[in-house]
Amino acid sequence: MQGAPPLIEAVGLAKHFGGIFAVDHLDFAVFEGELVGLIGPNGSGKTTTINLLSGNLGIDAGLVRVRGQVVNGLPASGFAGVGIGRTFQITQLFGRMSVLENMLVPGLARPHAVKRAVVREARQHLEFLGLASLESLAAKNLSGGQQKLLELGRALMLRPAILFLDEPFAGVNPYLRDQIIGFVKVLHEAGRTFVIVDHDLDAIQRLVRRLVVMSRGKKIADGSLATVRENRDVIKAYSGT
Amino acid sequence: MLDYLLAQTVNGLVIGVLFALIATGLTIIFSILKVVNFAHGELYMMGGYFAYYVISWFALPPLPAVLAAMAISFAFAVMVERGLLTPLYSPTIERKADYGILITFGLSVFLRNIAIILFGPFPLRPPSFFAGDLVVGGVIVSYDRLVAAGVGLLLLGGLIFFLNRTVWGQALNAVSQSRESASIIGINSQRIYMLAFGLGGALAGGAGALIAPIYSLSPSMGLVPDTQAFVIVILGGLGSVSGTIISALLLGVAQNLFIAFLPDPSRGPSYANAFGLGIMMLVLLFRPTGIFGRQHVAMD
Amino acid sequence: MRAFDWALLLLLAAFAAVFPFLVDAYWLHVMIVAMMFAIMAASWALLAGYAGQFSFGHMGFVAVGGYTAGILATAAGVPLPLGMLAGVVASALAGVLIGWTCLRMSGPYLAIFTMAFSEVLRITVVTEVEVTGGAGGMTVPQLFHAATDFPYYYLILALLIVSVGGMMLVVASRWGLFFRAIRENEQAAAAAGVKVTRFRIIAFALTSSIAGLAGAFYAPYIGILTPDVASQDQMGLVVAMAIVGGMESLPGAVAGAIAVEFMVEALRSYGEWRLVLFGALLLVTMRFARNGLITPAWLRFRGFASPRAAQLAKEGVR
Repeated sequence: MQGAPPLIEAVGLAKHFGGIFAVDHLDFAVFEGELVGLIGPNGSGKTTTINLLSGNLGIDAGLVRVRGQVVNGLPASGFAGVGIGRTFQITQLFGRMSVLENMLVPGLARPHAVKRAVVREARQHLEFLGLASLESLAAKNLSGGQQKLLELGRALMLRPAILFLDEPFAGVNPYLRDQIIGFVKVLHEAGRTFVIVDHDLDAIQRLVRRLVVMSRGKKIADGSLATVRENRDVIKAYSGT
Repeated sequence: MLDYLLAQTVNGLVIGVLFALIATGLTIIFSILKVVNFAHGELYMMGGYFAYYVISWFALPPLPAVLAAMAISFAFAVMVERGLLTPLYSPTIERKADYGILITFGLSVFLRNIAIILFGPFPLRPPSFFAGDLVVGGVIVSYDRLVAAGVGLLLLGGLIFFLNRTVWGQALNAVSQSRESASIIGINSQRIYMLAFGLGGALAGGAGALIAPIYSLSPSMGLVPDTQAFVIVILGGLGSVSGTIISALLLGVAQNLFIAFLPDPSRGPSYANAFGLGIMMLVLLFRPTGIFGRQHVAMD
Repeated sequence: MRAFDWALLLLLAAFAAVFPFLVDAYWLHVMIVAMMFAIMAASWALLAGYAGQFSFGHMGFVAVGGYTAGILATAAGVPLPLGMLAGVVASALAGVLIGWTCLRMSGPYLAIFTMAFSEVLRITVVTEVEVTGGAGGMTVPQLFHAATDFPYYYLILALLIVSVGGMMLVVASRWGLFFRAIRENEQAAAAAGVKVTRFRIIAFALTSSIAGLAGAFYAPYIGILTPDVASQDQMGLVVAMAIVGGMESLPGAVAGAIAVEFMVEALRSYGEWRLVLFGALLLVTMRFARNGLITPAWLRFRGFASPRAAQLAKEGVR
């Protein structure tokens, strides 16, 4: 893995709203097979960073490279096409489409997708996530937890190289939290790369080995759990304003 | 030539004031109810007819008839709101924005057709406010237009006062910003919605009543002002009453000058409305999300 | 599809084939008009109900189709079938243009913009009297020179089957999934890899060309083309048909169009009141039966024949 370009890399990434930099010239790289946690106090720019790296928001300055290739100008569907999957803070499902259909959309959006194979793949993922029996239900009728899992499944259908999870543990009961942690672990061991944004430091620590901390749009720490925990800037950022 | 331009400008301002009445009504309705009222032009049309019939049945003089028409328009708008728009606030309806569009669109078609039945398809004209014209130098403006503009300005002034200085007005402001927070501090949102829609209807109806002696009434007279109101509201920014008023005046003048400057005089008036629409299409194209006030139209 | 569906379809086809022999000329005319509107309503339902693009400019595309065919036929002497084809192409291009300009709009903005497009078109047609005949209308030559309307009937029947059948195939395909995904949540659709830009334009181009087809038929059949075809009142009629039938069902829209058109004609003796009636019907349907009147009734009926479809529908899957 050494010598290979990072799976995804942000160089001098910047985004401003009005006069404020939500993301302030950020350098950030994730290599294949990693499981990175992205944390920081509220307003530090974590979700904006994810939005920039998944193409949901336009970049004001800087570059995003996927396996060495610049992907800046692409629309969100283009980012998905190069293997970037994500989930949203507030689940964004296709409410009036069935669970299976939700899974089929990204599957069939892939070039040269064959329906029968995609359906099989979708059912496999649903089985894995424990949602198989809900296949015909309209997505809006699922419970909150089931919806979160469905969104994860939908992202998996992209066959993503990297998965950004935006606050997967927000407002989630402990049972579901453990379920999600379990799923992520299994998927990671199978070779997927993850970047997880969340405030639930406990859950994050159970999963990740590398932690990136942001504050006010800048990266203030990037390293192993141990080093980041000792970092004075991090402590200041969390306890300060 | 200068006199002609001046006359056109004055006429443009008069029209602009009336546009402003209609457009601010639309703005207020959108601000509070979060719905784009496609039937707004028809509320304007009904107001004009209300004035006409109040004058012919009860022999009310024209100016008080305007006020009566506004009151009737208010009541009528409230009825519409209670009858058709309440699903917008209930949690059970999905896709509220679409519902709002379709139901007000349907209402506009319905009202246009019912107007043909009730009032007949031929133009009607209520008596003038004051007969005669004002002549200043080479510029001639009818008294009717001056009265319409004057009363219109008074109404606009009253509206601004109402919104900024009275309790109900401030309640409206609060709800437009945040429905939930407003209900937390005890504002009864149901009453606010009725008030907002009624107010919008009253303003539009008032404009209709004021314009009736000038241009006469017909069941489809609401179509053009409807689209003009959208143009203005998009130009001026939703949620901003003052922005709406200013762009209304600007559009009124610009449109009249457009007619004046178009080389082919026979096409001018016909294309005048297309001009406004074209401007709106351009605005929607280049600043689609930023123009409509502070937030995107989303029900949740 | 189950045996029941096939049987029903066969019955319907047989009925449609012999219909002209069963009724007099007046009702045949009504059916032809109804089928024309059915094409307009179904294509609007695809655009608004399935793809979520609430366009009030649909009749503008109908006008483009009709006037292109008409102008080419009268001014340039182009044979009508060719002119009609040109009309379809022209409206497809218009659809691409409008779809492209509307890419960053949704909801009310899209509705207003498309309404403005239709109005600008209508105003232009009214004003440019030399080219279009203005408000008085433009006479268009006939397509067939038979004694009856039979040829027109079979033509519009074929057009209806082809266009609605084609649209149903699209809806059942992955394109249909993408349209619905865009309708449900555009942001999520993009994150799921759906090329939103492409499919929004496709939705417009597809439905506008079908609308243009209806317009191209309308011109020679009625023989006179007026700018009113692009009026908001006509748009309202088409919207009402789709809503009454069920906005998210193509066969529903067709059924709605036929039902409304026949109702409008049957109540002709009431004069203007029937328009008020159908306007009220539209409002009541929207207010109390948002899935239309015909579709739920049909689904309940069909529930006896296809439990799975009923199950999906009951779940709220659209």
